[in-house]
Amino acid sequence: MSIILAVVRRTLSTIVTLFGVSVIIFVVLRLLPGNAVTESLGVSEGLLTKAQIAALNHYYGVGQPLLQQYWSWLHSLLTGNLGVSLVSREPVSTLIGTALPVTLELAFFAMLIGVIIGIGFGMWSALHPGRWQDDIGQGISVVGLAIPSFILGTVLVVFMSSHFHYFPSSLPFVGVFTNPWLNFQQIIFPALVLSLGIAAAILRTTRAAVLEISGLNFARTALGKGVSRQAFVWRHLFFNALTAVTTMSGIQLGYLLGGTVIIEQIFILPGLGRLLITSINDRDFPVVQSVVLIFAAGFVIVNMLVDVFYTLIDPRTRKR
Amino acid sequence: MKRFIGLRGAASALIAISSVGLFSTAVSSSGASAAGSTFVIGSVNSVQKIDPDVVTNFLDFSALGLIYQTLVQENAKLQIEPDLATSWAFSNGNRTLTLQLRQNVKFDDGSTMNSADVVASLQRAILPATNDASASFIGSVTNIAASGANSVVLTMSHPDVSVLEGLSTVNMAIMPASAITAGTIATKPDGTGPFEYSNWVANTSFTMTANPTYWGGKPSLATVEIETIPTEQSISSALQAGTIQMGLLSQPTVVNTLPKSYGIQKVMTLSYRALQLQDKKGVLANVNARRAIACATNRKQIVQDAVFGQGKVVGPVPLGPYATTPVSAICPTQNLKQAKKYLKLAGKPKGFTFTAITSTDLDSTSAAQAIAMQSELAKVGIKMNIQNLASAAYIQDWLKGKFQAAFAENGADPDPYVMYNRYFGADANYPIPAGYSSSSLKSLLLAGDENSTTAGQVKDWKALSNNLTNNAVWIWLFDSYDFAALAPTVKGFTLSPVNSTQLASLANTSVS
Repeated sequence: MSIILAVVRRTLSTIVTLFGVSVIIFVVLRLLPGNAVTESLGVSEGLLTKAQIAALNHYYGVGQPLLQQYWSWLHSLLTGNLGVSLVSREPVSTLIGTALPVTLELAFFAMLIGVIIGIGFGMWSALHPGRWQDDIGQGISVVGLAIPSFILGTVLVVFMSSHFHYFPSSLPFVGVFTNPWLNFQQIIFPALVLSLGIAAAILRTTRAAVLEISGLNFARTALGKGVSRQAFVWRHLFFNALTAVTTMSGIQLGYLLGGTVIIEQIFILPGLGRLLITSINDRDFPVVQSVVLIFAAGFVIVNMLVDVFYTLIDPRTRKR
Repeated sequence: MKRFIGLRGAASALIAISSVGLFSTAVSSSGASAAGSTFVIGSVNSVQKIDPDVVTNFLDFSALGLIYQTLVQENAKLQIEPDLATSWAFSNGNRTLTLQLRQNVKFDDGSTMNSADVVASLQRAILPATNDASASFIGSVTNIAASGANSVVLTMSHPDVSVLEGLSTVNMAIMPASAITAGTIATKPDGTGPFEYSNWVANTSFTMTANPTYWGGKPSLATVEIETIPTEQSISSALQAGTIQMGLLSQPTVVNTLPKSYGIQKVMTLSYRALQLQDKKGVLANVNARRAIACATNRKQIVQDAVFGQGKVVGPVPLGPYATTPVSAICPTQNLKQAKKYLKLAGKPKGFTFTAITSTDLDSTSAAQAIAMQSELAKVGIKMNIQNLASAAYIQDWLKGKFQAAFAENGADPDPYVMYNRYFGADANYPIPAGYSSSSLKSLLLAGDENSTTAGQVKDWKALSNNLTNNAVWIWLFDSYDFAALAPTVKGFTLSPVNSTQLASLANTSVS
């Protein structure tokens, strides 16, 4: 019952949050100078007559009152219509439908690799505090946190292409069902780059949590009662550290969606991040609004799922 | 040992993932060969529109220039030469232009081009509802009529030999009259060029296939795809990986990182950088204050700082038969002593302050230009404040003339009338951003336009350049290079400085 209540409560707050995000992004975009006509024509706008510019404003729908534009967009949104791109004249849902799977696949692989590395090395470090294994773990976390993903990505691309003549992401992107092997090659390197930062954060959290728990009374008692080492590590230490690790993973997943924006640019992946940057440059408001809303929804939903997950793994949270 | 099996599993997974790079090098060549049947060009820009009459983006001109053709075109030396018109003649005191059309030219839809198609195309271009950005270049044309199946006559309101230059842009492309009537131009390009439209994915790629009925002979490249790659560094990497065969670049720093086996072609762009001044108010209304800026400017240093020396100091007409030499009537090179004299004449012996706007969104080198110029002007006491704006803000301020000075990259043309009538002519489109007007400039522009002899035009356009630089209307700075990086296997490609025909030699390009 408490789980259902938690889900209902979080769903309601999610709706309110997304509404707030929609208002903010709508207003902020309109505060920016210029519009789709300016971006489309540049200074050539000055070559057109007022009547021609008025006709273009009407075509791009940029001359309507703000409130009317927002209401029109919100109404369309609630009825499942995301509108039409001002630049390509394609439905926004089609553009997002093409780009979203790329970003989701990238985020999935980055998260998977990050969690494996983070938890693996975090546990390894925590079980060997002060020894060389711990140094390796700490080294990975420092490197992961210190190197920005865009620098690592650029260096990786330049190194692979100049030394191995290898840059699979520069081939037209193929779906996982079309050519799984090429798709894997196109995704794995950007995913590795993105995963390093995630792994570093999870590694440090895992290490700290496991070290803390291993010093608690119940852990010492379990060891004193003769619990096997494997059971002690996984059932007592890892399972109890899972709450902190889950929190950090949820936060990282949220940031990961933002991180894909730059990595998709560097690795030429036609995902949501690249769509967002292109649309911002073109002042293609319908696309920008929808993509930002998706990123925001992703962040909020991930946080909601993390909260729900808490109640599953930690019975104490159900009683609150 | 057994107790760490879980950790070992995680470590093994990590090693397996890391090893992918080693395994996958084995498949890189197969990936490249998969793309081998298509000639791929990488560009940071993307094709924005496919209606030739309304394009304004440089890449749109280059891409659609492979599909569409014009009556005349500019060659690599920026001279007008035949394209779909084989010959032409001015008459009636340069008020009438008669063009003879090339015969047996077919559109992609299989129909044969005739004078009705040319008339329909040009009429569409000058129709206000079309919003053709180059319509003003043939603004003097009052009537377009067919004269038989293979001849077209243009009637102008006044003597205007520059109309030929206006006809050479993709904005004046010749398209089938039937497609114009059907309203399919904006969705399905149909031209007479060496390539046919195949597919367009907005912000991603633009694909063309060889036109089997091209009058110049079917190109050897079966398919050409222009792929949007967000950064020039990524273009360089894709080229080295063999996934693209050509990269369109503008940053010398990226070009220099490519191995020598890659062919690098560079051409002066048909544009120029200038510091545009608003000469009608404030301190810059004083001609001697402007001259002081001109004399204190070290253009060579700006070229060095902004484009690492990969450019050339130019005057108002940067390229072509009427190129400005020397680059300025006053202080063609930096002369600080003269600058101080002009400051005294301006009544500002200790200098003055003004603000210049830049937009690194529009021209990535503009901030470097401004900083280099700022330090040179400071040597004579002129303080130039710099304000960098987002592209849209810059464009809006530029159009409204809301600036004292603006670092601008403007499109150029071999014909000075086409370049400057829009700013300083009697029927100028940009009188406000131009920030200056004079009856002598208007007279010079008209005289040059109406003069049909080469010697006469050389004299007129030299006078125009002198007038512009002697009055320090703007400070003309430099022209830079565009680069095409080619895979070692590419043969026969030549980069053209003209936007509309920049990629035209792809018709004669092959991959060994």
